[in-house]
Amino acid sequence: MPREHHPDLSKASKLKDLTFLVKRSNIHWVTAALQTVESKNLQQITIRLHIATLGNSTEETGHREWQDLDRLLIQFWTSHSIRPRLVDAPNSGGWDARDRVQCLLPELARRNLLELQ
Amino acid sequence: MKVLGTIIWVPTAGKGTDENAALNLRTDFPWTTVGIEQNPASDSGAGDQRHMPCSLPPETLDFVIDQLHDEPATLRACCLVSKSWIPRTRRHLFAHVQFDDLEYPFDSWIRTFPDPSNSPAHHTRSLSICDLPTSTRTGTDVGNCIRAFHNVVHFDLNHYAGVGYDNPLAPFFGFSPVVRSLSLTSTSSEVFDLICSFPLLEDLELIDFCPEDGTVGWSPPSTSPKLTRSLNLAVRGGIHSTTRRLLNFPDGLHFAKITVTCIGEDFRSATDLVSKCSDTLESLKVCCFLMGAFPSASLTGQDLTAACGRSHA
Repeated sequence: MPREHHPDLSKASKLKDLTFLVKRSNIHWVTAALQTVESKNLQQITIRLHIATLGNSTEETGHREWQDLDRLLIQFWTSHSIRPRLVDAPNSGGWDARDRVQCLLPELARRNLLELQ
Repeated sequence: MKVLGTIIWVPTAGKGTDENAALNLRTDFPWTTVGIEQNPASDSGAGDQRHMPCSLPPETLDFVIDQLHDEPATLRACCLVSKSWIPRTRRHLFAHVQFDDLEYPFDSWIRTFPDPSNSPAHHTRSLSICDLPTSTRTGTDVGNCIRAFHNVVHFDLNHYAGVGYDNPLAPFFGFSPVVRSLSLTSTSSEVFDLICSFPLLEDLELIDFCPEDGTVGWSPPSTSPKLTRSLNLAVRGGIHSTTRRLLNFPDGLHFAKITVTCIGEDFRSATDLVSKCSDTLESLKVCCFLMGAFPSASLTGQDLTAACGRSHA
């Protein structure tokens, strides 16, 4: 992915709180941005999902991107003890797709690290 | 609180003096209630021979009224008790003033307080204006009235595209030197001179406007506010141009919290903002509308306000 397609957070050394709002299934830019984080002060990662628009996430490419995010969030848990929060965006149809999100982030779900709201 | 039991006799609207009974008390229109004094000399209650005898120290009375700061109906009733109660109740009743063209028209304020210097505008700390006409129906210049709100700390301007000035936002330039929070939604694009007219500005919100093109033909101001708290940026067509101008502010950017809505290539601008504030940034929220998946041309103001969390913060 070209560098300009995701925010570079490597210089934000005081960063404590990070929130992404994801529309559609393009989750790769969240992963790319998170990979640039170097702050030792990070305490919270929140991902606001628009569940109703995650329709294509079960396709091969989309699924691989979610697996990458799953692995990265596990790393944040093991290295920083940060438990990610997944929040359903308003008016997105509710958490009836909760099970699907748990399938997309299986390792986080297995370790009971997903904080779904 | 025992002291309340000794002096508060639950004032009821419509049961005050004859003068008070003549007031048009409307709970949804606070300034008609307290428009009985047009002379600032009487604002302190000095010289008023009809005020209710009270042996309590004024600071005790002030304390009691302060406890009612979030009960506007009770505060309006307190205005009818005694003129000596009015100054303190006004401080709370007019702490937040909102104008819009339908429910709370600016013209009504001007009719009630025709002389801006005698209006209770100096009590206002939070001012919200939506759909304000450039000149009022009473022919009064908006800028002249706005300058009476010289103690406003939080200023919110919505859907204002004033004409008749070189810069449509000129009536608001520096009207209150203590503004710390500025929110502009769907206004004229020439917002940067307005931003720089508030030296103490800390929080900045720019939602849903079409920015000028980059920095072409734009001279950076000689000074700019410190901008040390929060930035919320959701600009139709992308944040690139707006970011370019903000990055050229002479005193830099020092935001601790950034919320930015990115469209397509906007991530480059978001990265520039993050880099500029890297020493101070503590919280970052990125809303992504990827080009193609969500073309910027189809973005609406509702999309932008929803994306940046303004309507459901």
